[in-house]
Amino acid sequence: MTYLSFIKAEVLVLWRRKQNVFNALLFFLMVVILFPLGVNPSAEFLAPAADGIVWCATLLAVLMATESMFKEDYADGSLEQLIISGLSLPLLMLLKTTAQWLVVLLPLLLMMPLLAEMLYLPDGSFWVLIATLVIGSPSLFLIGAIGAALTVSLKQGAILVMLLILPFYLPVIIFATSAVRAAQLGLPYLGLLAILLAIFLLSLVIAPFMIAIAIKASTN
Amino acid sequence: MQSSSFLTISDLWIERGERDLCKSLSFDVQSGDVLRILGENGTGKSSLLKVVAGILSPLEGDIFYKGQEVTEKRQILQENTLYLGHSAGVKKALTVEENLRWYCPTSSSNELHSALNTLGLLAFSDSFVSTLSAGQTKRVALSRLWLSKQKLWLLDEPFASLDTEGASILEKRIAQHTALGGAVMLTTHQDLLSLQSRDICLPI
Repeated sequence: MTYLSFIKAEVLVLWRRKQNVFNALLFFLMVVILFPLGVNPSAEFLAPAADGIVWCATLLAVLMATESMFKEDYADGSLEQLIISGLSLPLLMLLKTTAQWLVVLLPLLLMMPLLAEMLYLPDGSFWVLIATLVIGSPSLFLIGAIGAALTVSLKQGAILVMLLILPFYLPVIIFATSAVRAAQLGLPYLGLLAILLAIFLLSLVIAPFMIAIAIKASTN
Repeated sequence: MQSSSFLTISDLWIERGERDLCKSLSFDVQSGDVLRILGENGTGKSSLLKVVAGILSPLEGDIFYKGQEVTEKRQILQENTLYLGHSAGVKKALTVEENLRWYCPTSSSNELHSALNTLGLLAFSDSFVSTLSAGQTKRVALSRLWLSKQKLWLLDEPFASLDTEGASILEKRIAQHTALGGAVMLTTHQDLLSLQSRDICLPI
């Protein structure tokens, strides 16, 4: 096994199992569509709430997508093969998480212009919202993957993942929505984006090792 | 140096869930060896293979590979080891050929096809593994033995769910591998028909 053959197989599996990604995206779309219908579809209400709705839906969709990302590998024994492949397990896990991130985030970004119109997102803040999604979502995936790796050997791990992971998601969603709101008010938002970036870099450095440790503990 | 000791296990103590599986277990694996690990169910045959492969860590004891200690730093050993566990490590969403390309990207398609041919899987090379039977899935996992260059094979129940023909093909391959200086550790409850093996019996 090499890194290249691993990433090829990973992408192929993601493609064949596109239903999983599709489900998460559909869930995202449903939250964004149903929320205004349920609360208030007027522009005065939606314009300030748009970024919050998008971010909550993203967060839940990411939780859905990451929760089962190691399940099949665990069941068919490929996780064991990854551990003993002689390749660096943290790097393999980083590659896997990156692939997962790309297949969820890219379609989500493609939907965003339409959703921004639907939610009356103020013109000036669209690109800030996109920036927060691009910088903030990798942290969600990296942290979510730690939770998924910790609970992979449990039968009913989904709720446990949420409980473990949600506290670490809070800073991401707080700073992301604050950045968009600051942009809407004409305040400087680069500092808030910088904090998001810092959270991303921190999880980029720490998470792969944590995932690897959790995977080893789970296969034990 | 041909028959020198290849892998040395000294004073191994494996514990799982507060239960000692084996204590002060020591043995050597020489190149050319077929080492059969015997023991009743639950005595730790699979755990022993997993410890050697590096999936589990032993409580105490050392593992030496060609005289080098590898208990902590496994990389040299792992690059020379092929472990096939109970669950085969074959991805259901991929075809047979894609699975093998994943594990053995350096093999040419000729080698790949001849390996599949030997195992009677050539007709299935483009079928998804999810459509194959348990025995065929096992054969997919085993076909790595024809493609990889690793010296040490750790096979956990390699004969399980294989038919008699499959078992004899596998025994032939093991004999071929050990004749070329490789070593095999395997667990099985079956008798080996054509292979000479050294047996290690795990205590209850």
